[in-house]
Amino acid sequence: MDLLWQTAVNAMYAASYMSLIAVGLVMIFGVMGVINFAHGELYMLGAYCVVFLYAQENFPFLLAAAAGLVFVGLVGLFMERAMFRPLRDNPLSGLIASIGFLLILQTLVVLGFGRRMGHVPPPTQEKLEVFGAVLTHQRLLVIVAAILLLAALWAFLKRTRFGWALRACAQDAEAAALQGISMTQTARIAMFIGAGLAGIAGALTAPLVSPTPYIGHSVIVTAFIIIIVGGIGSLEGAVIAAVLYAFVHTFVTTFFDGVIANIVGLALMLAVLVVRPTGLFGAKERA
Amino acid sequence: MLLELRDIEVRYQKVAALKGVSMAVPAGGIVTIIGANGAGKTTTLRAISGLERLTRGEIRFDDARIDGLAPEEIVRRGIAHVPEGRRVFPDLTVEENLRTGAFLRRDKAEIRASLADVFDRFPRLAQRRRQWARSMSGGEQQMLAIGRALMSAPRVLLLDEPSMGLSPVMVQEIARIVTDISGRGIPVVLVEQNAEMALLLAQYAYVLETGSVALEGPANDLHEDDHVRRAYLGG
Ligand SMILES: Nc1ncnc2c1ncn2[C@@H]1O[C@H](COP(=O)(O)OP(=O)(O)OP(=O)(O)O)[C@@H](O)[C@H]1O
Ligand SMILES: [Mg+2]
Repeated sequence: MDLLWQTAVNAMYAASYMSLIAVGLVMIFGVMGVINFAHGELYMLGAYCVVFLYAQENFPFLLAAAAGLVFVGLVGLFMERAMFRPLRDNPLSGLIASIGFLLILQTLVVLGFGRRMGHVPPPTQEKLEVFGAVLTHQRLLVIVAAILLLAALWAFLKRTRFGWALRACAQDAEAAALQGISMTQTARIAMFIGAGLAGIAGALTAPLVSPTPYIGHSVIVTAFIIIIVGGIGSLEGAVIAAVLYAFVHTFVTTFFDGVIANIVGLALMLAVLVVRPTGLFGAKERA
Repeated sequence: MLLELRDIEVRYQKVAALKGVSMAVPAGGIVTIIGANGAGKTTTLRAISGLERLTRGEIRFDDARIDGLAPEEIVRRGIAHVPEGRRVFPDLTVEENLRTGAFLRRDKAEIRASLADVFDRFPRLAQRRRQWARSMSGGEQQMLAIGRALMSAPRVLLLDEPSMGLSPVMVQEIARIVTDISGRGIPVVLVEQNAEMALLLAQYAYVLETGSVALEGPANDLHEDDHVRRAYLGG
């Protein structure tokens, strides 16, 4: 029972940062209709912001993590401008370009930091007990940050005019243009937020995962499933689905293993496709 | 003239959908564009809103050229467009849909006033303000689409087949709404396949046939025209 509870607490932590990554992915897909294959590398880049600013240059950890959010968000803006905007009419080209960009990011990090694991000393060694399970402060920080960031994102989508604009654009970009909502503007917002969330997920977990330039790979494996499960329908529906999926996937991974988690994910995906046969790009085809 | 199309041509790939269309919309009243399936009515409105590029000609609004501007900029200048098929945002609530219509406006008090005004005109929307747009009937969605366009405080309103797929009662209701909008000083460009209704509402009419203006004139005259009666009024 203790082990089960401890595993659940661990899964809670893993699901928190996976949620941040997954939510960004579905936002980018929802608004721009492109699958960002470099999303795992944005996560990796966030981790290296902490390797550089905190572990090497001794800035405070939280400052380095915040810098990770902003810097990776800016990389997202660059991707929008350099790749996704020129290729807007062709989602497949956007996907292929993002694969190319992923390799460039990896190579740049290898050139700058080497291929070996970057060591990031944990900013705090303290831990607390939650009903018998051990939870380090570092992991608690990730959980709390994820909850706060997701709540902020939710409020943004539901309560602000740019939030409505993003959701409108995800549902019908042309009708949104007729309300004066510019596709370019919403794409930039979605890209900054999506990339920034992946960046801060990487930054906050850097002391716990020992980053390498290749940690983004594991994200790509689940990217497709998350897009299919979460990327259908409304933007905030996609956000919820991405969070739920991240929880299911990480719980199954923690209790069993990654292979079974992917099988469960695929089964979920099939179930979604049976219920919503419009499938992969269902929401986009409605015109 | 408030809005003027001068000899505009629009092509889809190689095929011309509009082959040199000229129209003029005065600063008040209702102008209608009627025509059969595929005549180019929707394309005309899409060209005005900047959703299609011209390959020839020009579009002027308030004596300034607007062809080539981005759709956002054209909305900003005061042209609101209710697209064919309504195109409300299905996963936004009624109120959120209306507020997206005011996206370019910044004055919160004015936006609230417009919202109250729309709810006044469309009590059904007020009753359903927290409901998802997708859960509404076709007629309600049409009202929502019109209300959303009014939220931009437009100087001219483009309506693409607002009566499409609606019950006769609902068509009557839409006719009343269109007259009411024009009566409050917002000129309307009404595209319709329902030529009978359109010619009764409008003061001036254009008949589009395969991408060209086949006929134009005061709506009353066209209503009595032999060709129009045979081709569009079923007798
Ligand atoms: N996206 C498109 N690609 C290619 N051809 C198109 C496209 N949209 C319209 N067309 C063609 O352009 C012509 C004009 O179409 P348009 O939609 O403007 O007609 P319409 O008068 O609005 O017809 P309807 O009454 O059916 O709505 C038609 O021949 C149509 O097939
Ligand atoms: Mg049409």
